Amino acid sequence: MRQLLNRVHWPLWVVLILIGLALILPLVLPWTFDQIDWEAVRAPAFSGSHIFGTDEIGRDRLARLAAGTQVTLMVAIAAALVSLVVGIAWGATAGWIGGKVDEAMMRFVDALYALPFMFIVILLMVIFGRSILLVFIGIGLVEWLTMARVVRGQVMALKQRPFILAAEAAGTPPRTIILKHVLPNIAGVALAYLMLTVPQVVMVESFLSFLGLGVQEPLTSLGILVKEGADDMDMTPLGLLLPGGLLVIILVCLTIEGERLRDIFS
Amino acid sequence: MSLYEIRDMVIQIDGKQLVKGVNISVEAGKCTAIIGASGSGKSLSCLTPFDLTPGEAAGSIKLDGIDLLKANAHQKLKARSHLAGFVFQQPLTALTPHLTIGAQLKEAAAQAGSPALSRHELAQKLERVGLSRADERLDQFPHRLSGGERQRVMIAAAIAHQPKLLVADEPTSALDASLRGEIMTLLDELREEQGLAMLLVSHDLASVENHADHLIVMEEGRVVESGPTVDLITRPQEDYTKRLMAATPRLDEPAPDLPATGKVLVDTKDVSVIFPKPGWRRGKIKAVVDASLAVRKGEALAVVGGSGSGKSTLGRAIAGIGPLTSGAISWQGEHLPGRRDRDLAMRALIQPVFQDPVASLDPQWKVRDIIAEPLKNLQPDINHSNRETMVLKALCDVGLGEEYLDRTPASLSGGQAQRVAIARAIIAGPELLVLDEATSALDPLVGSSILQLLAELQRSKEISLILITHDIASARRICHRIAVLDEGHIVEMGEMESVIGDPQAAATQKLVAAS
Repeated sequence: MRQLLNRVHWPLWVVLILIGLALILPLVLPWTFDQIDWEAVRAPAFSGSHIFGTDEIGRDRLARLAAGTQVTLMVAIAAALVSLVVGIAWGATAGWIGGKVDEAMMRFVDALYALPFMFIVILLMVIFGRSILLVFIGIGLVEWLTMARVVRGQVMALKQRPFILAAEAAGTPPRTIILKHVLPNIAGVALAYLMLTVPQVVMVESFLSFLGLGVQEPLTSLGILVKEGADDMDMTPLGLLLPGGLLVIILVCLTIEGERLRDIFS
Repeated sequence: MSLYEIRDMVIQIDGKQLVKGVNISVEAGKCTAIIGASGSGKSLSCLTPFDLTPGEAAGSIKLDGIDLLKANAHQKLKARSHLAGFVFQQPLTALTPHLTIGAQLKEAAAQAGSPALSRHELAQKLERVGLSRADERLDQFPHRLSGGERQRVMIAAAIAHQPKLLVADEPTSALDASLRGEIMTLLDELREEQGLAMLLVSHDLASVENHADHLIVMEEGRVVESGPTVDLITRPQEDYTKRLMAATPRLDEPAPDLPATGKVLVDTKDVSVIFPKPGWRRGKIKAVVDASLAVRKGEALAVVGGSGSGKSTLGRAIAGIGPLTSGAISWQGEHLPGRRDRDLAMRALIQPVFQDPVASLDPQWKVRDIIAEPLKNLQPDINHSNRETMVLKALCDVGLGEEYLDRTPASLSGGQAQRVAIARAIIAGPELLVLDEATSALDPLVGSSILQLLAELQRSKEISLILITHDIASARRICHRIAVLDEGHIVEMGEMESVIGDPQAAATQKLVAAS
């Protein structure tokens, strides 16, 4: 664990600080994200208690930004964790058993890869209406695929390693071999890909929200904020620049960190 | 004056002095060999003068009258590409996979400034290094060639521009034992024919002593001893050289005194292992065919063969960690089931040790847990404190101390890691160890100490051994009998001394000749 902490690099710190701010700010700000200040519609930055001003119906930008970051990252981390669990379970099973089972399981993954996932998500939204749960399902449906492939490859490589054979010769039951020998040795790579999955999910969620298919108003996310900002950018460019910039910072930092971890572990 | 002369060379990397005061000289038509363990600076000393390592050299380095350290970049490039040729250890990775053999050879010659070679000339070069059907080979891609053939192509490429100096860095280490002799003989012929000066680097004294005129022994960045090969081998002066000589097994040394053997423990009858071809291709690979052998109590059996001969597969089938297609293995007359059905009591009888000691220990585990693993499963009723005592005892048995208990595999040297692996193998009191090339990844000195450890265990614990190896000479030091495998078949089996003295099968003759 300490080794892991020492490996944390500045980009991750930036993201952690942003998450901290997103959690603390709503508690200390005088405005909530859905509260309308009738006196100050489209207020410029630093006017009164609105540090970043207000949007076109008078809601505090900073409060909305904090709430949007919370929602976006929550969806992203939750979806990434789901993809981690499903991906490891699926990939490790396929890789460990091998043979025909592996073929079948991985062809299923290929088939899912081939589906036009955006189209399916949009269809789901149209049929069942918008809900944060559907966003989860839609994202979860695709994001575990890469993880499953990566984990399968790692497990297949590990299976050939002499220490696994030695454990078998030592009478260690297969379940214990997987739990004590295989999983700890793929944890690093899985963590790296988890770190790379988070920004992907952020992108997907923002994209869905931008299309109006994401979370429901007045709940907000960075994608929705970008969309609102884009609609109003000729009047108040700040409304687009702030959530857009935040999105870029989060994506870039997580990707740099994820790729760095991937290089370390694989 | 020598063609290539190095005086008082010092090599630094990042301010750290790794090689100190090294003198090397090679005369035209002669061979100088540098011998040393890994990390002794032998490769560094050979490659740094040509800027092939990140190191910085100081001292005096003269090649054919050019001082390489004072030369400008152009002269240096000329020296490297025109005057010298290089052969490296890994023939499998040294050729570009997407170019044909002919194209690579042509490019190598052109790079070195020789005029463009015609197809006929290229084929001649390949013929010169002993490749048959040379014309056909020119159009083949590297993956069609075996390891030995690729190394021949590498040699052809290295001498295509007729250099004056050939630097060969462990040219045979990655090859099969039976091929090593052939490649060394080829290098000898070329040297005599073209008056090449040859600088050979090796960790293995046995493989160069018959080929080098001059030997240089290096240890930790210094030259321990150097001199004409005959003098050095018959009258080594320094302690390190003497130990190196003693650690290098020879077929002509007196037969060792081996412990007596008892009744038959393990007996295999017509064991075959057949794999389906990978992917969707039809067909089968017969790794082991109808292998029958027996090992007695306290006996050591050498299972010898080239790579791909099926010796590891056979060993794994016996140890119950690999597939078994047909045939029967019995333990003192009782049937020993295959991989999935072998129960714990039977597993405890036979334990494996692998070639790569570091890869055979889980990198996430501590030494204490690694050694305790078999005990936990095979003798679950032993309580925690007794287990700790037994772990410590096993560690002492393999010559390591208490201070290793909390180390991780990454912090162990190859020899220490192999000792830990042996401790894990013996802790649950097995009667048979299956050692799959257990010493071949180690330096000669370390390897011979592991061999010695095995001989001690063989005596003190009356453990039987199956020693899977390609190295007959070192197997002879502890093994009573030998079984030679070739393409899955046991082609010869018998008492070690009689098989070595009068090998019958072609595969055996090749292996004996190579040792």
